[in-house]
This record gives sequence, C-alpha cells and structure tokens, in this order.
Amino acid sequence: MNSVALRVVLGVACAAVPTFMAGGWVSGAGTRLAKIEAGDVVEDEADGGEVAIASAADEGYCSGDLRKILRRVLQSCGLLGSGEVRGCQPVQAKNVATMTGQDFNALFLPLSQRAGIIQFERDSAELDASDSALLDKLFADQRGASYFFVVARSSPEGSVEHNRALSQRRADSVMTHLRSTFRDPDLDREVGMLWLGEEYAQLEQDFCGWSRSGAADKCKPKDINRSAFVAWIDCRL
Amino acid sequence: MAAATMPGRIHLAIFVLACLAGLAFAGVSTFDFAQHLDRQVHDLHCSFIPGQRTAAVDGEAVGCQVTLMSPYSSVLRTSIWGGLPISLPAMGVFAFLVFRGIDLFGRGGLSRRRGAGWLFVFSFVPLGASIVMGTIALLELGTACKVCIGIYGASLVAVLAAGLIFASCRRTADDGATPSPAPGNGTWALVGLAQLTGFVGVPALGYVMMMPDYSRYVGTCGKLADTDDAGGVMLALDDNVAATPAIEVFDPLCPACRAFDRRLVASGLDAELHRRAVLFPLDDSCNWMVEGAVHPGACTVSEAILCAETVASGPGAQAVIDWAFESQEALRAAAKDDPEAPARMVRERFGALAACVGSAEVTQRLNKSLRWAVAHSIPVLTPQLYVDGVKLCPEDTDLGLEYSLTGLLRKRGTQ
Repeated sequence: MNSVALRVVLGVACAAVPTFMAGGWVSGAGTRLAKIEAGDVVEDEADGGEVAIASAADEGYCSGDLRKILRRVLQSCGLLGSGEVRGCQPVQAKNVATMTGQDFNALFLPLSQRAGIIQFERDSAELDASDSALLDKLFADQRGASYFFVVARSSPEGSVEHNRALSQRRADSVMTHLRSTFRDPDLDREVGMLWLGEEYAQLEQDFCGWSRSGAADKCKPKDINRSAFVAWIDCRL
Repeated sequence: MAAATMPGRIHLAIFVLACLAGLAFAGVSTFDFAQHLDRQVHDLHCSFIPGQRTAAVDGEAVGCQVTLMSPYSSVLRTSIWGGLPISLPAMGVFAFLVFRGIDLFGRGGLSRRRGAGWLFVFSFVPLGASIVMGTIALLELGTACKVCIGIYGASLVAVLAAGLIFASCRRTADDGATPSPAPGNGTWALVGLAQLTGFVGVPALGYVMMMPDYSRYVGTCGKLADTDDAGGVMLALDDNVAATPAIEVFDPLCPACRAFDRRLVASGLDAELHRRAVLFPLDDSCNWMVEGAVHPGACTVSEAILCAETVASGPGAQAVIDWAFESQEALRAAAKDDPEAPARMVRERFGALAACVGSAEVTQRLNKSLRWAVAHSIPVLTPQLYVDGVKLCPEDTDLGLEYSLTGLLRKRGTQ
C-alpha cells in the first residue's frame, strides 16, 4: 500500500471514531426513548417516580362515616348539588346526621387544631374584636381544606323559636364577616352553615380547652353554647 | 518517508496524546449530552478522569450540569431537539489533529516542515474555542465543568506541543536538511480545511440523521381546562401583553425553577410570551400536597412576592423573585435551622413588606394560588409552563426547551 492510500485509510479511520461513537450514542438514546414510549422500564432513568396530581387535603380522620355525614350535611346545606339551598334548619341537621347530639359533636373532635369557638354575648349575634380576630385567623389558615363549617348554637334560655332564630343570626353574622373581610369568590362553595338553636348537639365543657374568643372564665355550658363553632374540614368528597 | 528527529518525535507523541485526551474528554461530554436525547434525567461524568461518573449532590446543579444544561452547550437549538452539542465538533477537531499528527510521523523534509506549520495553525482551533467557552463559563455561568477543563487543558498542551514540533522542524531545515518535493502552502491549507470540514461535518450529519423525531411530542402533555384568573392568583412577570399568554407554575426556592427561568431568558423566547406566574411553593408549612419541606422557606418567600405586588411602596414582585433566585441556597439553609429565618431575611432586605408577610390576607392569597393548582389538577411539580393553556412537557424544560417551545409557538400560530 503506498503512502497516499495509507493516509486515506488513516484519515477515514480517524474520522470514523467520532462519527460512529456519536451515531451509536444517539441511536441508543432513540432506542431507550422508544422503550419508554412502549412502557418498558429503563434502568438508567434517574427519577422515574409517579408525579402526584394537585388535590385537596384528605386527612386520616376522614373516615367513611364522617364522609357520609359530611356529604349529607353539605347536600342539605346547599354546598353540593344545585346550590339553591343555603344553610340548614336544626331539624334537617338532625335528620341528615341521624345520630345523637353527642355523636354529632364527636365527629368534630379530631379537628381541635383546625377549629375554634366564637362566643357571643347573651342574646346577641354581634362579633366583637376578639371574635373577629379568631375568626380571621382560623379562616385564613385554610391550607388544603375544602369546607368551612359554621355550626351556630344558643344557650337554653328563651323559647326554642327565639333561640333557633338567634343561632341563625349568629351563623349569618359569621358569614357576613367572612364575605366582607376575605372577598373570596369561592366562599359560597366552601362555607357550610348550620344553626342548631338549643335543640341539638349542645357543646359540653370538654370544648373549653379549644381556641375560643370568650374569656377564660366564661366557659360554663350556657357561655360556650352562645357560639358559632367554626372549623376547616380537611376531607375530600 | 524520512524519519523525524528524536526531539520532534517526542513532541509529536505528546501532541498526539494531548489530542487523544481532548478527544476522550469531548467524547465523554458528547456521550453525556446524547444520553439526554431519551428525554430522561441522567447522572453526568464530571471528573478529570474521562469516564468517571458523578451523581448530583443533594439535587444541586454541579458545574458539569450547569454547563451541560446551559444554552451554550449546543447550537441550532430551535431546529434540533437539544441542539448540536459543541463537544461533537470538538471530537471531530481532535480526531483531525490526531490524524494529522500521526501523518506527520511519516513525513520528512519540507513536507514535514509545512505539515508541522499547518498542524501548529490548526491546533489553535480547539484552543480558540476553549478560550471562548472558558470565558463564557466563568463570566456567564459562573462555574466550570471538569470535563470542559480537561478539553481546555488538552487544547493548550496540543498547541504547545505543535509549536515545539514546528520549531524543531525549522531548526532541522536551518541545519541544511535536503529539501524534498512537497505541496505548496496553499494546497496544505485547502486540503487541511477540507479535511477539517469533513471531520467535523460527517459526525454532525450522522448525529442529526440518527435523532428520533421529537416533533411528535410537542403539545402532547396536556392542557389547562381554562386559563382564567378568577381568584386573582397570578402575577404578571412582564409587560408583553400582546404576546402569547403563558402561565409559569414555580417555586421561588426551587433550583430547577431558577435554572429554567435563566434558560428561558437566555433563549430569548421569553420575549414571545406574556408570562404570568402561579406560585407553588414545595414547602409543607403552607402546601399540604408535599410531604415535608422540599424547599424550606418557600412559603414565606412566596408570600413576600405576593406582598411585593400589592404593597404600594414595595419593591415589586420581580425584584423579590430575583432576590429569591439569587439567595436560594442561603434562604433554604437558614429555614432548615430556623423556620422563622426567611421572614427575618425578607424583612431585612425589603422592610416595606414586613407587615404584609404572614398576614391573613397574603396567607389566604397564597392558599388560593395552591388551590388554583388543585382546581386545574396539575402535577405537584415545578417548574411548569403552559403556553396558551398547552403544557410544555416536563422532559422539554431543559435541553429541549428551545425546540419544544418554538414548536408550541408555531403550532399556536398555525391554529
């Protein structure tokens, strides 16, 4: 072989090195890509974990029973379905809950860190500064919760009818404050109101240790039931 | 063929070895680049020993990753997915120099001297490229990769060795060696340039021809049901209101978001978009969708960004975003030790936002931002870019950004 031919062979050999190396790498990547498309596992893939989809919170306390009750209450209160109904009557609440008042209250026990008790003066539905402050603090801390419950009550003094109307005014007062303070377009889809008057699920003194707007020494049964119990519910339906 | 002198042979051997080293380093870099053509994430080789693999440390981009993912690692990015890696032409140039070096072993007399002269000239090609790329790495990227430094070093040694070869050939000629018939300088130059073109062009052509068709992935990663901002959660990132609307979902303390933002700006394609941001901090102090704080402090910094948009005497959202990107490492480290530290750092840097950060209003607005993600069922992932509601595939947010984003913009233009 003469020197020119030798040089040509040498040149082709040298040029072939980057050509075949790069071609092989690209071809290999193409093969892996085809395997990935076909659903085959590629071992060299550095992080092949499934990516979660953004969703509302669903905490461990959201048991099947709680969800069932929640759905019924929300449907009765107009949060699910047509949205034409707004708020629940006490009798309705009793019917949808189909449980004793004590059991109804027990549903909310896991929410101690997410709930608060807005305490009103006797025969009043006005929010004072400490009521508003607690309400704002709790409502702003929505996190992943989907529903905000306002469960208004009254102490047993006065007639049943009066107390029913009073607890409704208390629930409305909370809603009005939220509407004017937060201007949240989702408010009507998030806030579920119940007014129980004096008839159903009166709060026991066990709730005195929860976040309350009332003074520390104002936690007799009559004090704690002149209230609106508010809580974010971290359950998906 | 006449034999070369002993010192010339040693210099020539050094030259060939340096070029082989350059070829090896450029090969490793091209391999790393080509690995990513499967649109997956891969570890990189990042060592002065060619072929030694290094994993990223704690999710942080090491020099090699920053360099590889930078817009300077390849050319023709809008027409080829990822572009043509510049290390591929480097492989061709080093292979060419190896060829010319070996060829010189067998030459003598005037042919050897001219060959050595042109070898010296051609050896400046990788050195010149190294100087340009090294300057970009230091000034633009603020980092350097070990593989690249290997190429720079090999280029320098090759030039020095080629210079010594040429000098020794000249001395030999001055000592009265018999001139032998040899092509003229013009022929040497033309043949050399043609060879160099072939060495660079053929591998590049092969690379492009072997690539899969990436156009079929453009616009196939889903779309938003709507791009409305009823809850007022979005932040305008520019004034290009006439440009294509785009929504960027990001976390101000996420390194990938910072890198994505910089790549997008460096590509120049941001000018074709009207970008609005949805903040999505991957920090469980406000985001219930993540387990633990992936980026501690991100909730506080996100609040600061939202505050900056609304506080009248505030610095403006973009200024806080820029600061957060610059200070990501410090903010995350401080938040790990003390969850209150980011709020202090925000107050120190932007006093006007002090009263707003942590307030019920901004907490709720940030929550709405997260709930926007829930309402649109988007992945718990940052960054994400939606161009006119169509998602840029996550696999295309780094090397394939220019190609895929250009494709999305073109598709929109033809609709």
